[in-house]
Amino acid sequence: MKNNTFLIIAREYTTRVRKKSFIILTILLPILIAAIIVLPVLLVMHSEKGQHANVLVVDDTELFINSFENTDNTTFSYSSGDIDFLKKDAFDNEKYDCVFHILNNSQGLKSNLYYRKDLPSGLQSNLESQMDEIFFDRMLQDSFNIQPARFEKLQELTKSDITTIQVDDEGKERENIAEMNEIIGMMCGFFIYFIIIIFASQVLRGVLEEKSNRIVEVLISSVKPIQLLTGKIVGIALVGITQFLIWVVLTVGIVSAVGLAAPDLLSGSEATEIVAEGASATGQVQGLSIFQQINNYFPISFTEIILCFFFFFVVGYLIYATLYAATGSVVDSESDSQQYTMPVTIPLILSIILIPSISTNPNGQLAFWFSMIPLTSPIIMMVRLPAGVPIWQLLTSMGVAVLFLLFCIWAAAKIYRVGILMYGKKNSWREIFRWLKRA
Amino acid sequence: MNIIEVQDITKRFSNHVALDNVSLSVKEGVIFGLLGPNGAGKTTLIRILNQITFPDSGTVLFKGQPIKAEDVRQIGYLPEERGLYKKMKAGEQAMYLAQLKGLDRKTAYERLRVKFKQYDILDWWNRPVEELSKGMQQKLQFITTILHRPSFLILDEPFSGFDPINANLLKEEILKLKQEGTTIILSTHNMASVEEICDEIALINQSQKILEGNIYDIKMQFKKNIYSIEVQEENLALNSLIKNNFELLEQRTLSHSTQYDIRIAADLQANDLLGAVMPFANITAFREVLPSMNEIFIEQVETFNKEHRHEK
Repeated sequence: MKNNTFLIIAREYTTRVRKKSFIILTILLPILIAAIIVLPVLLVMHSEKGQHANVLVVDDTELFINSFENTDNTTFSYSSGDIDFLKKDAFDNEKYDCVFHILNNSQGLKSNLYYRKDLPSGLQSNLESQMDEIFFDRMLQDSFNIQPARFEKLQELTKSDITTIQVDDEGKERENIAEMNEIIGMMCGFFIYFIIIIFASQVLRGVLEEKSNRIVEVLISSVKPIQLLTGKIVGIALVGITQFLIWVVLTVGIVSAVGLAAPDLLSGSEATEIVAEGASATGQVQGLSIFQQINNYFPISFTEIILCFFFFFVVGYLIYATLYAATGSVVDSESDSQQYTMPVTIPLILSIILIPSISTNPNGQLAFWFSMIPLTSPIIMMVRLPAGVPIWQLLTSMGVAVLFLLFCIWAAAKIYRVGILMYGKKNSWREIFRWLKRA
Repeated sequence: MNIIEVQDITKRFSNHVALDNVSLSVKEGVIFGLLGPNGAGKTTLIRILNQITFPDSGTVLFKGQPIKAEDVRQIGYLPEERGLYKKMKAGEQAMYLAQLKGLDRKTAYERLRVKFKQYDILDWWNRPVEELSKGMQQKLQFITTILHRPSFLILDEPFSGFDPINANLLKEEILKLKQEGTTIILSTHNMASVEEICDEIALINQSQKILEGNIYDIKMQFKKNIYSIEVQEENLALNSLIKNNFELLEQRTLSHSTQYDIRIAADLQANDLLGAVMPFANITAFREVLPSMNEIFIEQVETFNKEHRHEK
C-alpha cells in the first residue's frame, strides 16, 4: 500500500516535467536572467567599441593644445584658423567625424561640437570630463600655484573610510553592509513567494482537476485519500525543486560561460560590484575563494542562510500546498475557487507588500511579529535573516511553522477526504468546520 | 458463503440520514442487483463497501472478516460518474490505475495489451484520453476496473453511455466474469438488464432496505395469481365462464389465436383454471404471468412512500 504513494508521486512528477510549458519555462528563465545580467553591459561595450571617431580640435584659447588623451574610440588632432573653412574641409573631404571648437570667451569656457552624421556615443561626456580635468589642473597650477600631483596626494591623505560594524548580544562584532543585506533578504523573500504562488497553486489545480473530472472516486477506491494528497504535494514539490536546480545550474552556467568568453564583460555589472563591495568589506579579500569571502561577510554563515532558505521553502510550500489542496477539494470548479482561496492568499500578498519595509528595518516590531506568524514567516524570516536574527527568534519561528504545518495537514486531510466527494453544492464555512470536528 | 455481509449500517450526513440500519448479504458468485430510486442511498452504500466513506455504526464483513484497507485490491469499482485524466495517454493511464491496484508493471502491461486488443482500442494506446470517443473511454474505464481480476466487482450503472453493440459486449463480459467466479454488485435503473443478468437483488428506498432476495423468489412472493391462456379462436363461452373465481384482465387477439390474462382467486390452483377452460376451448399455450422487476420496483417504492407519508 505504501508503494501507492510512490506511484502517485511518480505520476504527478512525470506528467508535469514532460509538459511543454515546464520545459520551455525551465530553459527560458535562466536565459532571460542571464540576458538581464549580460545584455546591458554587452550593448554598452558594443556601441563603444563599434564607433571610432576622429576629432579635430580647434582651440582658440590655446589652453588645451595637445592635452586631450586619445582613447580606443577617439583620436584627437589639432588645428587653428577659420572655423568655417576647417569645418567645411573636415566634413566635405571626410577627414574628420567631428570638429570641436573651443571659443575664446571672457565669461568662461564655451565650446561647440560639430558633427555631420552621428554623434559618437560617449564622446560628449568624454570631452567634458577631460576638459574639466585639464582646466582644473591648469587653474591649480596657474592661479593657486599647486602641482596637480601634490593635490592628488592630498586628496588621498584626507579621504575618510567608514566601516559599519554590527555588535551582537554576546559582544561579537561583524562588519556589515545594510544595502547588501537588504538585497539578499529581498531576493530570498521574493523567491519563496514565487515558489509558493507557482507550485502551491498547482496543487490546487491538480486537486480540482481530479475532482471535476471525477477520477478521484476511482483513485480513492484504490488508495487512501491521504496517500493521494501526499503524493500530489510531494510530486509537485519535486517538480519545483527540479526546476529550481535547473535554473540555478543553467543561470550560473550561462553567466560564467559568458564571463569566461569575455572576462571584462561582467566586471562592470551592478551585481558583481555589490558582491565585490561586500567581500572587500571583510578586509580579507586576498587569498580566499569567493565562497569564503561571501561566508565571512554574513552575520550568520552563508551555509546557514542556504539551509534556512531550504527549510522555509519546504515548510512554506507545504503549508500553502495543504491549504490550497483543502480549498481545491471543497469547490467544484476553478471559477468558484476564488472566494475560498482568498483567505489563503491574503497572507501571501501581505508578506510581499511588507518585504520592502521589513528589509530596511529587519529587527523592528513589524518584522518580529510577521516572522513569527506561520503564514507569513517563511517569507518574512528569510528577508530578515541576512541582517542577523537572534537564534531564539529563528528557532521559535521554525517551531511555530512546523506546528502550524502539522495542524494544516491534519485539517486539510479531513476537509479533503469529505470535500472531494461533495458535488453540486456550495459548502459554507460552517459546514467545513463541521467536517473538521467529525472524527 | 457470503462474500459481503453488511450489518446494521447507519450513515448520517449533516442534514439527512443516507443509510438507516441497512443489512444485506451477497453470496459468492452471484450477480447482485442493487436497486432503488435516485437519492435512496445506493451510492453511499457502494462507497462504504469501497471504504471511500465509513459508516457511523454497523460493520461490513468481507469474506467473513471485517473489511480491511488491503481488501480494496480484491475489489473492482466502476463508479457511475466516470472520469479519467484527459491529457494522459490511454495506455499510460491504464498502467497507472492497474499499478495502483497492486499489479506490477509487466503483468499490467501484458494484460492491458490483451484487453485493449479485445476491446478494439489498441490503436489508441498512445493517444491522450481526450481524443478518445465517449464509448472508448467507457471501455478503457471498464478494462481498468477488472484488470486486477477482482473477486468482487461493483458496477454502478455500467451500461450508461454504451451503444447497443458495446452494451452487449459488456453484458457478455459480465456474465463471463460471473462464470469465472467473480461476485458482482450491479447498481442500475435499467430493470431489463436486472431481469436478464441478476440472480439476486436488494431494493433500497429512503435510506432503508425494503426488499432483498433471489429474483425468482421475489417474483413468486409478489405474484398475483395471473395466468395467460391462449386458445385457438376467440371463444365467447370463455367470457361467461369468468365470473366469481376468475377475473379476465386483458384479452388480446393474435394472428391465429386469442390470449386471455386471467386472475384466479387466491385459494385456487392453476389446474382449476385449466379444468374450467378445457371443456370449451382448444388451449394452445398456458403460463403463469409473474410480475416484472419494473412492476415490483414501482409498486414497492410507492407503497413504502405512501406508508411513510402517513407516519409523518
